[in-house]
Amino acid sequence: MKSGISNPIIKIIFYAILVIWGISVLYPLLWTLLDALKNNDQFFRKMPWSLPDFPLLWSNFTYVWSEFSFGTYFTNSVVVTLGSTLLGLFLAASTAYVLARYPFKGSSALFLLYISSMMIPFSLALIPLFFLLNSMHLTNSSFGLTLVYASTLIAFGIFVLVGFFKSLPKELEEAASIDGASYYGIFFRVMLPLSQPGLITVGIVNVLNIWNEYIIGTILVNDPVHYTLPVGIAMMQAQMQYRTEWGPLFAGLLITIVPILVMYMFFQKQIASGITAGAVK
Amino acid sequence: MTRIYSSVILLKLFWKGRFNRMKLGTTKWQRNLFIATFILPTFLFFCVFTIYPVAQAMYYSLFDWSGSSDNKKFIGLDNFKEMIHDPIVWNAMGNDYFLVIGKIIGIMILATFFAIALTRFRFKLSNFFRSIFFIPNVISVVVIGVLWNFIYNPQIGFLNSFLSLFTKDKVDITWLGFTNHTIWMLLPPAIWAGIGFYMILLIAAIQSIPESYYEASGLEGAGQWTQFRYITLPLIWEQMKVSILNIMMTTLNGSFVIVLIMTNGGPDNSTQVMGSYLYQMAFSQYHFGYGAAIGVLILIASLITTVIMQKLMHQETIEVS
Repeated sequence: MKSGISNPIIKIIFYAILVIWGISVLYPLLWTLLDALKNNDQFFRKMPWSLPDFPLLWSNFTYVWSEFSFGTYFTNSVVVTLGSTLLGLFLAASTAYVLARYPFKGSSALFLLYISSMMIPFSLALIPLFFLLNSMHLTNSSFGLTLVYASTLIAFGIFVLVGFFKSLPKELEEAASIDGASYYGIFFRVMLPLSQPGLITVGIVNVLNIWNEYIIGTILVNDPVHYTLPVGIAMMQAQMQYRTEWGPLFAGLLITIVPILVMYMFFQKQIASGITAGAVK
Repeated sequence: MTRIYSSVILLKLFWKGRFNRMKLGTTKWQRNLFIATFILPTFLFFCVFTIYPVAQAMYYSLFDWSGSSDNKKFIGLDNFKEMIHDPIVWNAMGNDYFLVIGKIIGIMILATFFAIALTRFRFKLSNFFRSIFFIPNVISVVVIGVLWNFIYNPQIGFLNSFLSLFTKDKVDITWLGFTNHTIWMLLPPAIWAGIGFYMILLIAAIQSIPESYYEASGLEGAGQWTQFRYITLPLIWEQMKVSILNIMMTTLNGSFVIVLIMTNGGPDNSTQVMGSYLYQMAFSQYHFGYGAAIGVLILIASLITTVIMQKLMHQETIEVS
């Protein structure tokens, strides 16, 4: 029975369904690219699936990049994503290490508190977060956004990393401590390098979540100078009612998708395993 | 080589024991200091940006408040009483559960189908399909919303252009403009975007089933369907339960983003879900107390639904086994 199913007709039907779904996923990405190279006239005159006319309008990309400030949004997204991921990783890893290796009175209760916070609907916190950041003068600032994003990463990071630290052999830490390494030395010089695979998985999932995040970004920032890419796209789409520029909109979508697709190609395994780690409790 | 290494470790462990006994006082103090410096900053951060806002939301829900400090009036549970008489809240809640049920059915059927097709059927391109099917899960909901808006666009969208191929006149249906059924239109993007994730979960579950089960049943003449019904399904049911609960929670907590991007709750509040109504009440109409109360409602709804669904699915597990 190694061969799986025997009936060829069923096999063909199944295969057809898989191919159709595959097309439904890939085709939108393809027409995002094709439509990013059209002008408005082509959108209204021709079918949405028709190929763009020559010359291809690569200028749509430079146009959104400068005219619609996607260059700025891109930089903001990069800064906020990397900053919050690094900060969140550090906050999560330090606590996860202690919880895994140096249990103290109340440590399991603390772990439970972090884990159960993942169950709370985030929409509940939106209003107070806005007023909190406002009172700290951190609305309309990439720094404020970075702090909030970092906080959203803590629970998931602790959840994954506690398991990871626990799986590492204790001998190395013990050897290092006899060699005179301090607690901090052991963590930074021995444990962090050893836990790189876990840190990378958590880090990549975080990068993905923050790069794509919209709702916190739109609540905490209303100055275009500090928009991230998803907020910028939503605002551009809203403007479409008065100023239709479909080609540039698709160019903007592509600018948002491509970095994440490239990352997905390189870290496919980590992304799939990391993203699903949170759901398997 | 390994033996030398391990004996060094043993020796070091031995010395460590003596070392610890000698300097127990300072070590213990150092240990506590270390724990404190590694636990407290994270905890403080977590309290400020997570625990405090959640507690504050419950507090705000008891006020009539437009955002400025001078007109914040304590009104007890009046916001919640007002919600009972607010038809939009009921409609939003109905939409939320419509999406929950629609997504559970759509995603679970397709994700289970794909998971089985990509494991048990041993197609050559299985790994390729698996990577492709996951792509919508790494794309921002905002991008997905904009893409589907274009599909539904009445003048130049895909759907109408495609339908026009088969009709004499040009089709110009405003897919997102019906007051009665527009919420249905939000289901395809939500399902399309969600499948890859649950497919991966179920693939992992299927791959953990020992091959010998299938071989043994195959020898006794069990067909593919029988194997699916009596081996695969019962053995991945745990994972399916997790998936169903997960769809429910993520939908109640997060489906409002795609609503905000695609319809903004319209037309005429007909596609409003609880999250988008909260957003609109708080950040466009400045009823922050009422918005916070909707947030509390979302929390209560998702807790109650989790408990009920766990009970329901628990019974079914017994039936299956």
